[in-house]
Amino acid sequence: MKLRQLFALLLTLAVIASACGSSSDESDDGGSETTTDEADADTDAAPAAAGLDIDAILAADLSDCAAEPTGDPIKVGMVMDFSEAAGFVDVPGSEVVPYVASLANCAGGIDGRPVEVDVRESGDDPALATQELIDWGAQFFIGPPFADATLPMQQTGGGEYAIFAAASTEPTLADAENNTFLVTFDDNGQSSASAQFALDQGFTRAIIFTEGEGVPYSGVNPDAFKETFIAGGGEIVSEQTYAWFVDTDFSSQVTEIASVADGSEVFFSAAAGFQITALRAQMEGQGLNDITYMGTDAFDATGITADPGGEGFIHTPHVLLEAGSALEKVLDDSGTLASDAPAFMPLYIDSMFLGIQAILDCGCDDPAGIAAAVKAISGFAGTSGSITYAGTNGIPPKAVSVVQVEGGGNVLLETIGG
Amino acid sequence: MTGLLQNLIDGLGRGSIYALLALGVAVVFGIMHMLNFAHGELITIPGYLTYWAFNNGWTWWTVIPLIIISAVLSSLLIERVAFSRVRGATDFTMLLTSFGVHFIVSAGFLLYVSASVKPIPRPGWFANTVSVGSLNIEVFDLVVIGVTAVVLAGTTWLLQRTMFGLSLRAAASDFDTARLMGVKSDSVIRGAFALSGFLAGIAGVFWIMREGQVTPTAGINPMLQGVLAVLIGGLGSLRGAVLGGLVLGLAEVLLRSWLPLGIQNLTTGFVFLMIALLFIFRPGGLLSVPQVERV
Repeated sequence: MKLRQLFALLLTLAVIASACGSSSDESDDGGSETTTDEADADTDAAPAAAGLDIDAILAADLSDCAAEPTGDPIKVGMVMDFSEAAGFVDVPGSEVVPYVASLANCAGGIDGRPVEVDVRESGDDPALATQELIDWGAQFFIGPPFADATLPMQQTGGGEYAIFAAASTEPTLADAENNTFLVTFDDNGQSSASAQFALDQGFTRAIIFTEGEGVPYSGVNPDAFKETFIAGGGEIVSEQTYAWFVDTDFSSQVTEIASVADGSEVFFSAAAGFQITALRAQMEGQGLNDITYMGTDAFDATGITADPGGEGFIHTPHVLLEAGSALEKVLDDSGTLASDAPAFMPLYIDSMFLGIQAILDCGCDDPAGIAAAVKAISGFAGTSGSITYAGTNGIPPKAVSVVQVEGGGNVLLETIGG
Repeated sequence: MTGLLQNLIDGLGRGSIYALLALGVAVVFGIMHMLNFAHGELITIPGYLTYWAFNNGWTWWTVIPLIIISAVLSSLLIERVAFSRVRGATDFTMLLTSFGVHFIVSAGFLLYVSASVKPIPRPGWFANTVSVGSLNIEVFDLVVIGVTAVVLAGTTWLLQRTMFGLSLRAAASDFDTARLMGVKSDSVIRGAFALSGFLAGIAGVFWIMREGQVTPTAGINPMLQGVLAVLIGGLGSLRGAVLGGLVLGLAEVLLRSWLPLGIQNLTTGFVFLMIALLFIFRPGGLLSVPQVERV
């Protein structure tokens, strides 16, 4: 009896599921026509944008969309690292890109084609996440900022897929030959710009903190600063080592610095904000009150503007968000303006737009063709600035904004390069 | 000479925090024969509470009791939820349980709070110095050394002069015999975790002040330093734990100062090398305890 009841229940469920499936099929085919008809009938519907119109996409109103795009979808794969290492950027990044894709679709899609985004967490196996997205049909990728994930992604895709390491500034990660691209300036670019700025301000003496020559990020940035500063006639009066993201007690370094510094120096490192606020307090405790502190985009990533100890620090964020701009509204609406790293979000948005632009440029859908078109991009006006890959190894020669923390916000001091 | 004295004071300041952490680890090890790799969470949890408190207008005067109380309660909660379930299990099971607690707490903050650094304002006097001759001594170091001395004296009194201390020492020496003599196992274990939490709370106050931030994995470094100090001092020895903490702090600062520039960033590596050498010549640590196997 029970078996019979179970069978009847399963049969009922199967009928319901079948009915739902039919309904779904209808909406996929006939349903979409109905939607289009309705949209045609609705004279208030916004007109569809042609090509890639970033302004129109950012201005799209989700409550007043154009006709639903019905062409073949553009498929964007996101392999994101949600761990502590990169989660502060990849978590909000994985939210803002699907949101902007929904805006693009609301604006009528890209030449009538919808944009689909699938996000997979890299976890311990970025290769598996990549393969799943390839199986799904991803045409290009947005990846996490570290080589330990990007290299397996390259290998899994056979080097044919364009990969945008959205939040990375690691110069060795860019590899145009294998279609891996940075979306922002690299460490050499930002730290050389910082050194140039220091020289422009008349500094001739510098103190640098490094984790060691050639060490990715924590060593490469000071290396680049040092090279440019010395080439410009400056002198490194003290070079100290520290453990990046770990040390907060710099007693022994401060003792050494105090024996050579006279307070007229500029200090440079790629340390996190909380490290340099501790260092500054210890330096000031030793009477070194007038030193100017400069850092990299790590300050931006570690909430330096929210730290009262960071007042006056100079650094190089990725984007200066303009209050009241369409971009800021998009970040606000997507919930990422209040995230830990809002200035990184335009890099994720641009990653998607760059891939789409390449599809439009090549008129193709195959990953290798798209990647070849990415390499030829020149003067692309993205939300994070102008991006050029043509003639580069995948590092766009972008302008670096040098800003100072004032009153809990960033004030632009100078824009260098570009 | 001035530099050496400066480094010694810096090292003692750093080592004092390690000593408090190590003593907390050693107290639990004495009772359960378990190296508690979740000990650092007694700093992570209060760290996030501190972040929350400052965002709600609290000051350091009110935050300090919050850190200590939350560390004690966290320690008791972890014991109740996790370690009480594996009481009597093999050492390996308890070790894995402590790792599990660490990862669950970290993942919880990562998923439900933030992956990012959360800044915590340091107290205004944090980097003030007092001059003694040619020495510029950080007030922070003096406070840490002073408070640690008082806490260690209090802990010594607690362990030597009270019935709880007697029970704790008896249980640490021979748990089963102590039970036969009327020591209540639940009470003594919870007491040990409460004491461990209190010591972690005191250490946490200074650690959080110094760090000026909290992240989901904020507990890893204090846990590692505490466990290392226990191993240096000698597993099972409370005095050894304190000594190990001080030695570790001094070794870090002195090595950092003495090593030439090109290899200064290998300070941690040299510290581990010294620990390895110590274990070759004194496998039981500085103050080895002859019997550490649970009977």
